[in-house]
Amino acid sequence: MSSIDAVDDGDPRPATHLDLARAVLYREYLLFVRYPANAVGGIVVSLFFFGLLFYGGRMIAGRALTDSIEGIVVGYFLWTLSVGAYSSISNDIGSEVQWGTLERHFTTPFGFAPVALAKGLAKVVRTFLVSTVILAAMLLMTGTNLRLPVLTVVVVAGLAITSVLGLGFAAGGLSVLYKRIGTWLNFLQFGFVLLVSAPAFDLGWTRFLPLAQGSALLQRAMLDGTPLWQFSPVDLTILAGVAVTYLGLGYVVFHYATRRARRLGVLGDY
Amino acid sequence: MARQRGREARQRGRPPGASGVRTETRTGASADDASRSRDDPPAIAVEGLTKTFGSGADAVTAVDEVSFTVDRGSVVGLLGPNGAGKTTIIKSVLGLVLPDAGTVRIDGLDVHEHPRATYRHVDAMLEGARNDYWRLTVRENLRYFATISGVDPDSVADRHERLLEQLDLSAAADTPVRDLSRGMKQKASLASVLATDSDVVFLDEPTLGLDVESSLTLRRELRRIVADRGLTVVLSSHDMDVIEDVCDRVVIVSDGRVIADDSVASLLRGFETQGYRVASRDLDDEVLAAVRERFDAVEVDYLDGQARIEVATDSDGFYDLAALLRAHDVTLDAVDTVAPDLETAFLEMTGGAGR
Repeated sequence: MSSIDAVDDGDPRPATHLDLARAVLYREYLLFVRYPANAVGGIVVSLFFFGLLFYGGRMIAGRALTDSIEGIVVGYFLWTLSVGAYSSISNDIGSEVQWGTLERHFTTPFGFAPVALAKGLAKVVRTFLVSTVILAAMLLMTGTNLRLPVLTVVVVAGLAITSVLGLGFAAGGLSVLYKRIGTWLNFLQFGFVLLVSAPAFDLGWTRFLPLAQGSALLQRAMLDGTPLWQFSPVDLTILAGVAVTYLGLGYVVFHYATRRARRLGVLGDY
Repeated sequence: MARQRGREARQRGRPPGASGVRTETRTGASADDASRSRDDPPAIAVEGLTKTFGSGADAVTAVDEVSFTVDRGSVVGLLGPNGAGKTTIIKSVLGLVLPDAGTVRIDGLDVHEHPRATYRHVDAMLEGARNDYWRLTVRENLRYFATISGVDPDSVADRHERLLEQLDLSAAADTPVRDLSRGMKQKASLASVLATDSDVVFLDEPTLGLDVESSLTLRRELRRIVADRGLTVVLSSHDMDVIEDVCDRVVIVSDGRVIADDSVASLLRGFETQGYRVASRDLDDEVLAAVRERFDAVEVDYLDGQARIEVATDSDGFYDLAALLRAHDVTLDAVDTVAPDLETAFLEMTGGAGR
């Protein structure tokens, strides 16, 4: 574990990257338990739209929808995960600008990247908790049974939304630079529906888009019970590669957007 | 090593005399300065800092070849009217605004080349009260920002308790910041900056928006903490009282340029058009004409039928004034000295832009 050799008099002690991750996660936890209305509101809205989809679809499509409900539940679960990860990180960056705290995360001896990654990790953990509640509610609502190999679901879904996290960083960076586009960038989350549905189109190249490969593997894990180790190395490599690539690209966009914001003197402006 | 030097400086306390007083170095440091710089660099050295926003006809030069140094353990005020470039200077020094030209060294390290190493020494309170998390409690903010600044919060827990006591925040330590009054929020923000182990602190308008009492309290506590910890502080304000009260030295900025850089005392001495105010019911037109003939700077006002003259002069001039008034059989009702203040000096230098 690397550390910041901040002091040399033995007291105070330098913080490690583990301390950093713990502090960021703890802050997220505090906000989660202290202001549960935000999380509860998200769950209620998600379930409301799922209810519309399920009951409305059953009225219109009847048995056709019921037969494919497991796939819809898995897809909706991944979509809520994606939206949660994307909007939480992009909105968080915008909020930090308003609060005047974003600049303090730049003037850290850790460098901004580790802080941003810790924040991203915290958002993913929080999103998983919320989406798990939504998944449980959907299963109860629809009377569906799914296989839940926890390790496989966590790894596959985690990597899938890591790519979306990259998009969140990019959107956050652009909203730092262009203050008013944040609202428009939120519309991008509706595009996630297409990405989650991409495996259904059976187009090979879509596997290299965010979410698509994760969606395909998650369907196999949760519908067929395929464990992680039975996926082909190629499938897993694409999943991991897409996650790392989009996260990296997103961070690069964030880095250059904030660098330009620093050049224009608008980093902390709102 | 740099931090060790900072510690030694703290142990030594503030430099003798008018702590932190350095003449402005726009034209470059002297040989003596250069020699000292090699051995013991100043806490902050800014050289030729320039920043222009926009381009062409719309270009605005917010910071224009600004240079100054700040010695360890000194408190330097950055004074200027709104829009003078104070915040841009601070943000450029911190690397939050990328300057077009110039260098910034903190503890001898170039901020733009070695930001992470520099940030071990530095923290800043920007934008007044809004630089902590209002949904977290005061104590949680202290722990969070200590960690972000590279310090294990458990190892400075005692220091945090002392800080909360010093800032009179102990009773509110476990209250979310959003539930505090404006003055308490400001203190919480300051505490979150001082909760780190930084020995160089930038405070941008720390008393902005506070009522008089809260401002006085914050200034008093700030002075005490700075002295206790031997911090190097750059404090920006458009409030002369704050600068005069807290700072050893003042850098006056107008239109992005440094127009004065001296100790508060020296700056006031430089404006020693010390004066005297004399009130009397015997100051008729003839006497006033005689006073005006003898002295250049005379102001007259009337209150309840009583004339009051204010004459800018030195001690010798005052004796002349007294003799002149005596010769005209003027009975004096009141005599006051008129001491110059920083506001007078500031307005003089900025051509009244600070009003």
